Amino acid sequence: MVDEETIRVVRCGGSELNFRRAVFSADSKYIFCVSGDFVKVYSTVTEECVHILHGHRNLVTGIQLNPNNHLQLYSCSLDGTIKLWDYIDGILIKTFIVGCKLHALFTVAQAEDSVFAIVNKEKPDIFQLVSVKLPKSSSQEVEAKELSFVLDYINQSPKCIAFGNEGVYVAAVREFYLSVYFFKKKTTSRFTLSSSRNKKHAKNNFTCVACHPTEDCIASGHMDGKIRLWRNFYDDKKYTYTCLHWHHDMVMDLAFSVTGTSLLSGGCESVLVEWRDATEKNKEFLPRLGATIEHISVSPAGDLFCTSHSDNKIIIIHRNLEASAVIQGLVKDRSIFTGLMIDPRTKALVLNGKPGHLQFYSLQSDKQLYNLDIIQQEYINDYGLIQIELTKAAFGCFGNWLATVEQRQEKETELELQMKLWMYNKKTQGFILNTKINMPHEDCITALCFCNAEKSEQPTLVTASKDGYFKVWILTDDSDIYKKAVGWTCDFVGSYHKYQATNCCFSEDGSLLAVSFEEIVTIWDSVTWELKCTFCQRAGKIRHLCFGRLTCSKYLLGATENGILCCWNLLSCALEWNAKLNVRVMEPDPNSENIAAISQSSVGSDLFVFKPSEPRPLYIQKGISREEVQWGVFVPRDVPESFTSEAYQWLNRSQFYFLTKSQSLLTFSTKSPEEKLTPTSKQLLAEESLPTTPFYFILGKHRQHQDEKLNETLENELVQLPLTENIPAVSELLHTPAHVLPSAAFLCSMFVNSLLLSKETKSAKEIPEDVDMEEEKESEDSDEENDFIEKVQDTNNTGLGEDIIHQLSKSEEKELRKFRKIDYSWIAAL
Amino acid sequence: MAAGGGGSGDPLAPAGVPCAFSPHSQAYFALASTDGHLRVWETANNRLHQEYVPSAHLSGTCTCLAWAPARLQAKESPQRKKRKSEAVGTSNQTDLLALGTAVGSILLYSTVKGELHSKLVSGGHDNRVNCIQWHQDSGCLYSCSDDKHIVEWNVQACKVKCKWKGDNSSVSSLCISPDGKMLLSAGRTIKLWVLETKEVYRHFTGHATPVSSLMFTTIRPPNESQPFDGITGLYFLSGAVHDRLLNVWQVRSENKEKSAVMSFTVTDEPVYIDLTLSENKEEPVKLAVVCRDGQVHLFEHILNGYCKKPLTSNCTIQIATPGKGKKSTPKPIPILAAGFCSDKMSLLLVYGSWFQPTIERVALNSREPHMCLVRDISNCWAPKVETAITKVRTPVMNSEAKVLVPGIPGHHAAIKPAPPQTEQVESKRKSGGNEVSIEERLGAMDIDARKKGKDDLQTNSFPVLLTQGLESNDFEMLNKVLQTRNVNLIKKTVLRMPLHTVIPLLQELTKRLQGHPNSAVLMVQWLKCVLTVHASYLSTLPDLVPQLGTLYQLMESRVKTFQKLSHLHGKLILLITQVTASEKTKGATSPGQKAKLVYEEESSEEESDDEIADKDSEDNWDEDEEESESEKDEDIDEEEDEDAEGKDEENGEDRDIASEKELNGDSDLDPENESEEE
Repeated sequence: MVDEETIRVVRCGGSELNFRRAVFSADSKYIFCVSGDFVKVYSTVTEECVHILHGHRNLVTGIQLNPNNHLQLYSCSLDGTIKLWDYIDGILIKTFIVGCKLHALFTVAQAEDSVFAIVNKEKPDIFQLVSVKLPKSSSQEVEAKELSFVLDYINQSPKCIAFGNEGVYVAAVREFYLSVYFFKKKTTSRFTLSSSRNKKHAKNNFTCVACHPTEDCIASGHMDGKIRLWRNFYDDKKYTYTCLHWHHDMVMDLAFSVTGTSLLSGGCESVLVEWRDATEKNKEFLPRLGATIEHISVSPAGDLFCTSHSDNKIIIIHRNLEASAVIQGLVKDRSIFTGLMIDPRTKALVLNGKPGHLQFYSLQSDKQLYNLDIIQQEYINDYGLIQIELTKAAFGCFGNWLATVEQRQEKETELELQMKLWMYNKKTQGFILNTKINMPHEDCITALCFCNAEKSEQPTLVTASKDGYFKVWILTDDSDIYKKAVGWTCDFVGSYHKYQATNCCFSEDGSLLAVSFEEIVTIWDSVTWELKCTFCQRAGKIRHLCFGRLTCSKYLLGATENGILCCWNLLSCALEWNAKLNVRVMEPDPNSENIAAISQSSVGSDLFVFKPSEPRPLYIQKGISREEVQWGVFVPRDVPESFTSEAYQWLNRSQFYFLTKSQSLLTFSTKSPEEKLTPTSKQLLAEESLPTTPFYFILGKHRQHQDEKLNETLENELVQLPLTENIPAVSELLHTPAHVLPSAAFLCSMFVNSLLLSKETKSAKEIPEDVDMEEEKESEDSDEENDFIEKVQDTNNTGLGEDIIHQLSKSEEKELRKFRKIDYSWIAAL
Repeated sequence: MAAGGGGSGDPLAPAGVPCAFSPHSQAYFALASTDGHLRVWETANNRLHQEYVPSAHLSGTCTCLAWAPARLQAKESPQRKKRKSEAVGTSNQTDLLALGTAVGSILLYSTVKGELHSKLVSGGHDNRVNCIQWHQDSGCLYSCSDDKHIVEWNVQACKVKCKWKGDNSSVSSLCISPDGKMLLSAGRTIKLWVLETKEVYRHFTGHATPVSSLMFTTIRPPNESQPFDGITGLYFLSGAVHDRLLNVWQVRSENKEKSAVMSFTVTDEPVYIDLTLSENKEEPVKLAVVCRDGQVHLFEHILNGYCKKPLTSNCTIQIATPGKGKKSTPKPIPILAAGFCSDKMSLLLVYGSWFQPTIERVALNSREPHMCLVRDISNCWAPKVETAITKVRTPVMNSEAKVLVPGIPGHHAAIKPAPPQTEQVESKRKSGGNEVSIEERLGAMDIDARKKGKDDLQTNSFPVLLTQGLESNDFEMLNKVLQTRNVNLIKKTVLRMPLHTVIPLLQELTKRLQGHPNSAVLMVQWLKCVLTVHASYLSTLPDLVPQLGTLYQLMESRVKTFQKLSHLHGKLILLITQVTASEKTKGATSPGQKAKLVYEEESSEEESDDEIADKDSEDNWDEDEEESESEKDEDIDEEEDEDAEGKDEENGEDRDIASEKELNGDSDLDPENESEEE
């Protein structure tokens, strides 16, 4: 029994993944991407979402790894905060409150305590790049108001800003010029493309910029498909640039590889181009990526690339240009014509997917199952081309039949229409085209429905069209002496006074067909195709039409464009009731009598759940979404819930999903906020403990050797090191998570005292290897692991264990050394 | 069929490969094949989700595997809990997979991260691990081995919590009681242990061969009146190697009962067993047993005390390939595993080979005692892994699909004769009055015979050939006649053909018009001639509309684009031909005004829009064809012309279009026709 609190609207997955560049973790094991108000952490190997970092209250606009600790992640959001996360465990470490809307985030390893962000302060359209100083403080929420201005009047998109050559300069592009700001000189140089000044229709606007990681070289992408490589830009006059041209349309994003030897570019051709050695000749391609490349990013380790695409997916690509994994969200590239359907066979949500495809999306696992290629034509990705659109689809006969309608209309009179009827073949477990009908109607098809009555002996499909007719198609036996075959033929064509047919719908038992002709609803007998009766309310064109179910099967509901919801009684052929409701979506629940209607008002969308037999709604929820709701669907539950209270009973058998105009898929949840519908965390309980491998012995010995050397040098200076395990202050400090520790200032004296040897004072020793130190810092962050391994090893008597103890104590020594270093500075400050 | 996990030649090793569905929604299916690879498949779309090869896969192949319960990940260890004030919710996702190996180590593999998570070695088994069970709540793991011991692992710490001797021989199977306080182990005998004290609570006889599976089937005792201590009264099931009987045991309060309560019989050694727990007394236990011979047996039984006779299955499921013709006989496809879906009404079946299994959800129909599913997995044999990147499935579009274009029968509703009394013409199944038409035809034939006799002398053999061809439906003969391009010849032939062949000829022409555009061009000539020459005869036919409905639809669809233009054009042509006809006095066709009257009557009978439009454009089409020929030496029946004229007036003479324009429109028309043909 679930807690019955309130019904809340929850996002149920399929959120946007391609809003910003994805970011790799330092070891390339994880990939981060912003997704609405969240940051999602995916595994690059398995494509699985490992964590969802939630805490922001508005759209997350940028993420970057913490350059000083690559186990941490910064994120910024429109809510004016920068948050620091521990992404391995999915924990929020710190929040920096900046106070103004942040549109992008950049980090530079050289600028230790500050990050860069794009803000707009004064005017709405003018954006500045500022450096935000992040104060060191132990508290969870820190105010970071110290902004220093770097560049003004820049483009809002983070693709138009790049930091180059280890943070020596920053390049920004906007329209026709490139500005470079040198941090040392504090000067800005501005380069304008010569051709742009005089030519009126020059299409060489800048679209994106990338900087070489080590050299002074800036690559800029342009509207006309060219890539320019700028060099020698320290000099305002002598600067040079070279052109690389392959893309035929706008360059969407550019990225240098980690070493800078190759440049990656992508655009709407959906081809990833790798330019080797920055020459035009040396290029490699990875074609057929499916959709426009919007962002490209490169892992810090250099072994992986990833491209974010306009169809809401991230492709992870190996260094040798082989796609290795796809993280695919709900495809959102295009508008949804087909509405939401449920495939009776896979129980997946079905809607328009990639161009010309139907996508099957599993709601349970929040994953795309597959795209079904309906149109089967190469998609030509070019601006201004009128494509074939998949406009309607319907499943019939328990998923055995699929009807799809595709149309292409270049001009008013040139309509190309095709209807395909696919049969599910159980033998091959796939759909097979059974009948293809060219121009089933003279005009656009407005509605498509199968007769899904259980007892119906013959599959029946009805199409309604703007040409004023509705056609009934039935499956007939087409066997001849050569083969046994079935095929669809038109059985009946009906019309009503040349009005456009707008909707059609079968009653639950399949005995009646309702077809709406603009303002009039006609009821036809499905056996003889006789017109039984008509209903006309003169309340505007009928927008939605549906029959009641189960005990309410004698009712017919129609929602009109003028905002009237009518309910007719089919027995008395009279209007039962009507209500003033501007219905946008009306969906019957297949498992109950309930009907959900979503109405649209100026404030937002409201949900009404009612039974046709009584005009009083069962449940009302106001303001389910600020946007217009476009489609909705009831999804039958596998295992029925058992809510007892009246307001929630409608959710017992089915769940209601709806899709808003911005194409976010939402649903209703009764669970308390802690139990999120989406899998929020995959917190692993078990600690990682992997036994040593032969490689470890080789490598470990080497390390050990190094350590010993180091130790020797240390021991020359230090008489004796106390056993750190025995000092409570030290162990406490080491074993308590960093973010719950009191401030360093508070701990400092105690800690230093505990470390002091009785006689001599120590001189802080500089550690030669910075890199090493970095590593140790990390290991400190995952402190419990150490803690835990120790415990395990304590119980062990194997020789191996001793090794580890030995090694661990070494590492702890290093930590100590590091602490000493920090402490030293504190002492100086005191 | 892959034989025993671990690749050992042990005859008493269980058949089948270690495999398991992920708990809860069965989103994944993990299968450790004998080549040492662990593969995880997505059940919903039959896609390889990941593949993992343990570093020691050759020496220590996987012998058993178990998914960690999903709740385990959600629960946080106490120290973590403190750390997290922002509570992170439960997850429905399953992650950890425990693999037991032939050398005694246990691997924990993370399916989310796709990497080895930990390895449980120290203090564990030193021989083949036979079974692994996760404790549902505590996060403990139980394993049993050939080394006769049972080990309780603390997964958090990756170390042994407790290790005790489970039997005098190897322990082959384990199961944890529903309340989590007891453990069943099967070695030589089946023992029920109290987990807290590690003491034996009950003994059961067991099987003669090693027990390969143990499972609790109920979570509540059969009679609920007695107080329930969590274990007494529960039933459990056991299956063993080489044993065709699955035994059901009941835990009783008194210690003496050691033999099985009842048993299920199957056709071969059970390889994979899944069941739905019955939650109350009335609900039967559903059991799916996959046997070594590749069949699935389904049992549905309310467990209630003794039953001496072994129960046979309610339903058997087999899968076979389709036998294509006589060449290949159907071959059985082995089922590897079967799991009940959460709705308990459908079954996930895994079948095929273990390196490329097919996973399918099958709805259960309890009425049928035997289900044989025919599946074509021939295209699955090629190992395909890399198609997974695009996630696109291409449904089959082959030439066998029926294609309907406008004008082809079936594209539009067949035109049926109007029922005389009703207002609506729409009626579904009405067979037209064929008798009348035959009579009419006979009558027509009489006249016709006379006419034919008169004209026979002058012509060459074309009309005869045509008649014979139509009667015998001889393709060659018809080709010879119909493929002529000589307009005059066509005209003469049509004039001299017997009347009763008019309708068959029209039907033949219609059929050919639907064919290749090149031949259709020729047929148009013929059609034009027939319609102009025999219009009067045609108009006398009462069932003209259903007979020529297809032709009408074809014509309508072909001239649709220039409907108004063709109306006007037809009218102008008519005027011209009328004028020429009045000037010429030729030996025209015999029937005159009479036929016209009949035709008018017909048309007045029909009131539907459809029918009127029908005739209307039939005429239009005529005119079109005439214009397309643009040869003006024909004999035209004035009757029909007048008729059409009347119709044309209805359509309105709103526009006067210059004749050149018409010609242009005309020249556009023909290619249109041909292109639609394709």
